[in-house]
Amino acid sequence: MEQESGKYKKVLEILRNSKPVLNSTEDIENEVIKRILKVNKHGLNLLNIIDFLFGWVYIGWIRNGLITASVLLVMFFIWQQSIILNRIDFLSRQTIIENAETISNPASEVERGIMMYKITGRRLPSHNLTISEKQMNQLLDSVYELQVKYKDLIKLIEDDPELKSSIEKKLKDHNQQKTKI
Amino acid sequence: MIDIKLIEECRGGNFYNFRKLVELTSPMAFSVAFRILCDEDLAKDVVQETMITIWQKLKKIKSAEVYRTWIYRIVVNKCYDELRKRKRHPEFVTDEQTWSLISNSVFEEPSANLENKETEKVISQLTNRLTPKQKTVFVLSDLEQMTNDEISEITGMSKSGIKANLYYARKNISEMIEKYL
Repeated sequence: MEQESGKYKKVLEILRNSKPVLNSTEDIENEVIKRILKVNKHGLNLLNIIDFLFGWVYIGWIRNGLITASVLLVMFFIWQQSIILNRIDFLSRQTIIENAETISNPASEVERGIMMYKITGRRLPSHNLTISEKQMNQLLDSVYELQVKYKDLIKLIEDDPELKSSIEKKLKDHNQQKTKI
Repeated sequence: MIDIKLIEECRGGNFYNFRKLVELTSPMAFSVAFRILCDEDLAKDVVQETMITIWQKLKKIKSAEVYRTWIYRIVVNKCYDELRKRKRHPEFVTDEQTWSLISNSVFEEPSANLENKETEKVISQLTNRLTPKQKTVFVLSDLEQMTNDEISEITGMSKSGIKANLYYARKNISEMIEKYL
């Protein structure tokens, strides 16, 4: 056993003494440099850009600082959003006073539409409105009926001078009141 | 011993100094690769690949102090890959010429230094039956004379695993020596 161990040690000693010799260090250097330059040539621009943009992530204190900052920003964003949502909720429950008319918390779509119509100064919303042919005919009929009634009314007023002067006087008074206001 | 300042300069992207780092690092990387692979040309290729990996990832290591362990880890991993490729053809041919060379060196010229080719043959004969892990542990521990802590850091193996692999490697080699010498 001892002899065996002795042989093992001798073999080991020989192998340890016989350190592998790298004769062509310069060749390896040149080959490595050549291959690095070749790789760099292809990916130089992209690598440089990536390195320029994200190279700082390898610096510990910057990385930690940015992690902290991003966590704080996320927390601030969540806090701000919760405040905005609360505010919207609060406002949606408020009573709106428009031209002495009170609208409180409109429930249905129709009511909301009416409210918007009143708020925007009785102007129709900008999006397109579509009506059916039947509705169009009804509208034209009512306009025609209105025109006929208007003509009859004018004729009736003109035929009666007393009524005409009375209406003219009332209109004059009404206009004067409006001017005063 | 590699100067830490030199490594730090290379980490900063100094390409000129990297050439010097290649010059200083290549022999130690070659020694391990050659002893594990027992093939000079393949070991040179591994050294080249290692140097390119070092250039690409040098910025990512925590500090220059861990450079030595880190480089050995890269070399060992690359050698593992090569050994795994070879595992498919586990042929073992006893080379009488090599055993007579070992015998001659052990009994007649114990202080003799073997040439690369001879060392290649001797290690190849001695470690042919070992698994990649056993071979790596044997080379790092008995030939490169590293401590178990260093081997553990390089290979990622536990200390008990290292001891077990080393035990089987030594046993196997001793048996070979006993049988053929």
